[in-house]
Amino acid sequence: MGIVQENRVEVKSMLTAVSSKPSRSGRVHPFTTLDNAMSRHTLHVIVYYPRSPFGSFDLDSVRISLSELLSMYPPVVGRVAKTPDGILEVKCNDAGLRTLKAKVCVGIDEWLRSADGHDESDLTAWEDMPEDPSTWAPFRLQINEFEGGGVAIGLSCPHRQADATTLTVLLKSWTEAQRRRCLVHPPSFSPLPSILTDDTDAVKPNSASISEPISTKTATATFRFSSSAFKKYVEEEGIFPKASPLDVFAALFWTRVALVKRKSHDRVCMCVDFRRLLPNPLPYGFFGNALNFSSLEMTNVADQGIVHVARLINDHVTNLTVEKIRSDLNRVGEQELMYGRDLTIVNMEHMIVEGDPMMYDAVFEDGVRPVHVSYRIGNVGGEGVIMVMPSPEKGFGRVVSVTLPEEEMSKLLVDQEILRFEPKIILSGVK
Amino acid sequence: MPQAPMPELTSSVKLKYVKLGYQYLVNHFLSFLLIPIMAIGAVELLRMGPEEILNVWNSLEFDLVQVLCTSFFVIFISTVYFMSKPRTIYLVDYSCYKPPVTCRVPFATFMEHSRLILKDKPKSVEFQMRILERSGLGEETCLPPAIHYIPPTPTMDAARSEAQLVIFTAMDDLFKKTGLKPKDVDILIVNCSLFSPTPSLSAMVINKYKLRSNIKSVNLSGMGCSAGLISVDLARDLLQVHPNSNAIIVSTEIITPNYYQGNERAMLLPNCLFRMGAAAILMSNRRSDRWRAKYKLSHLVRTHRGADDKSFYCVYEQEDKEGHVGINLSKDLMAIAGEALKANITTIGPLVLPASEQLLFLLSLIGRKIFNPKLKPYIPDFKLAFEHFCIHAGGRAVIDELQKNLQLSGEHVEASRMTLHRFGNTSSSSLWYELSYIESKGRMRRGDRVWQIAFGSGFKCNSAVWKCNRTIKTPKDGPWSDCIDRYPVFIPEVVKL
Repeated sequence: MGIVQENRVEVKSMLTAVSSKPSRSGRVHPFTTLDNAMSRHTLHVIVYYPRSPFGSFDLDSVRISLSELLSMYPPVVGRVAKTPDGILEVKCNDAGLRTLKAKVCVGIDEWLRSADGHDESDLTAWEDMPEDPSTWAPFRLQINEFEGGGVAIGLSCPHRQADATTLTVLLKSWTEAQRRRCLVHPPSFSPLPSILTDDTDAVKPNSASISEPISTKTATATFRFSSSAFKKYVEEEGIFPKASPLDVFAALFWTRVALVKRKSHDRVCMCVDFRRLLPNPLPYGFFGNALNFSSLEMTNVADQGIVHVARLINDHVTNLTVEKIRSDLNRVGEQELMYGRDLTIVNMEHMIVEGDPMMYDAVFEDGVRPVHVSYRIGNVGGEGVIMVMPSPEKGFGRVVSVTLPEEEMSKLLVDQEILRFEPKIILSGVK
Repeated sequence: MPQAPMPELTSSVKLKYVKLGYQYLVNHFLSFLLIPIMAIGAVELLRMGPEEILNVWNSLEFDLVQVLCTSFFVIFISTVYFMSKPRTIYLVDYSCYKPPVTCRVPFATFMEHSRLILKDKPKSVEFQMRILERSGLGEETCLPPAIHYIPPTPTMDAARSEAQLVIFTAMDDLFKKTGLKPKDVDILIVNCSLFSPTPSLSAMVINKYKLRSNIKSVNLSGMGCSAGLISVDLARDLLQVHPNSNAIIVSTEIITPNYYQGNERAMLLPNCLFRMGAAAILMSNRRSDRWRAKYKLSHLVRTHRGADDKSFYCVYEQEDKEGHVGINLSKDLMAIAGEALKANITTIGPLVLPASEQLLFLLSLIGRKIFNPKLKPYIPDFKLAFEHFCIHAGGRAVIDELQKNLQLSGEHVEASRMTLHRFGNTSSSSLWYELSYIESKGRMRRGDRVWQIAFGSGFKCNSAVWKCNRTIKTPKDGPWSDCIDRYPVFIPEVVKL
């Protein structure tokens, strides 16, 4: 993917941010079966702001609002512990959120242009869970200051403890607390509704982490498609009226990646957040994992037209019923790797609430919206991940982040079908 | 047997009334003497009638010169008396620093940092955990920002910024509360034991608030946790010499540079107990302040046991084997504190105890000296002399020891225990947090007497006695405003960590 570079991110200091009020003693947050199924993965969110809300850091008001917010999220500042039966859970003991401060030696625009997936992982702090997790901080925050202004706030956690929506709501709530507004999505720590968990077995003790490291070297690139690109495609190809940008862009990338992989590649795994898909929808503030992983098949997908594939995807997502979600949930215990065992397409349409993308509304100072939000999943399987995320400009544009083995990625970056849409390619490491 | 307890109860009730009767008799002895005499005189006067009184008056044959001389004499004596009386020193108001929530140190965070930093010394970590479990501290005490880093970053800059943060916030609050303008400050005393930069902290305050160039400023360092009362004593002496003046006292302890970085057990103890805090106090000798002042200073007694070697070495700052500087607390600290307290009580007792207790003490002393040396010494009941007690929150052991020695009830030491729980040991400013607790609970009435006792390295025991000047309404702001409703809390012997 490129020239090996020196590490451009330098970690300067580490401290522990605490919550402002002590939590109820003895409180414990258990994991669901779905949570445990996500154990192999880690989750990282990176929000880029053109202007940093941090000043001296120690005495900033942003730190105070963070502490007040952490009081509402006891599992974020707790520590993982094993019960006598060998089951993992979170002891809400207020130990705190590990916070690191780092400096990046380039400017934010240069970074977005030239950094790649591995560089981006330097913007987040991560350490694998040791044997004794009593002093191991599961949630870590890293504040990276760019040369010349700009900041990237990186939040990491084990995927077992939260999904992308949870972390996004957490960061957005921090900005709301900072601006002294009511939280739009306050956290909810109730378990998954019984309609989903009736058939599932009781949570089994976690087996010792087997982690064989994923051997393929992967590369990531992010494609920003504007609203006009979608409109252009709709006009040219005459897509069916109910098609959403997700259908079109997911179909586009599925077909092109299948071509690049030179396999018929007829099966993908569709990852959809089911918070709002239940008959009694879960609030956005639901803390934990609420993801549905389901398989989607089509023969010779590389040769199919995008319209056809888009329709298949649309049907699949619209037909996700509670029963289907429940049966998929029953099967998660049998799988180890949720992302990347098959090519995984992650759907983030639910993060667009009334036309506004939730993550781009996380604003500390008026007028300073994030310029980009990245989501990274650690320990992805060799087949790769396609994430279709909302765009900072409201409308039909989307930001698609693709993680593939290196050689496949280099071919994808020059694929003409994709380049026809004139995407702006960032964070791909290409100079 | 239902009958047996009854006689005990009635006999103890009888004893209580006997005691009460005795106290009233002795304490109001003069009134008991004077009232009959005045009554007899009044009866006589009434019996005599106006002409007889005039006759007695004329027979005395006063002439003008005699009358004038007598009145001048009386006026002269009273002027000399009023002029030589020491000025009344008022405590106008005070303000305590409340740290931001980001500085909070939950037990889990403290232990986690301890484990991460002392990873090769599990025994020292164990020791710290045992101290913390039994310390009586709560989960809301605060350490300065530099100590939250892994590892801590106690640079001089960080120490100065902690000093600026705590001192300036407390002083801003004091100026706002009292309406005092910075240029009107006549005397400034800053005490901070372990951080003494150049220019001094008092110079830093003068620089920030642009105080007058002829201000009398003093910076006290090295005097330990009792330096707060030493500053009050100094302010009192200065206010006797300078008429119509006010004095600001700033009491604090800067934790940043003194966080022990080694792993010697006896020296890790202060890390577990000392926390961030500061207080700013406005004192005045102006007559115009007597309406708005909260307290009047009645007595201040200082006792120094430094002449005794054991007392001198019991709190000793030294380097450990690896060159880290820390404070070594000896094992007989409690015994030495008890001795110092006894010495202090012997001096303050006669000044504050009511006549009834002093008489009993005198009688028991005479009894022991002359009749029977084995008689138990009579410990005067200080609860009769004071309504409120502020015992320096040096640690749970100190409060327990004093509660035992002075036979105080749980409510008397509640202010000290709750201050230790909420704010930790904030050194010289802890007495002011305790006083603020009593006020926040609405217990301070006009005429109430408060006894503040502080211990410090050296070994010193200082006490101050204040008399409440006006009933204090529960303050709307202050360090306890957001949590006073949760207090008092039950503090278990050992908190499970």
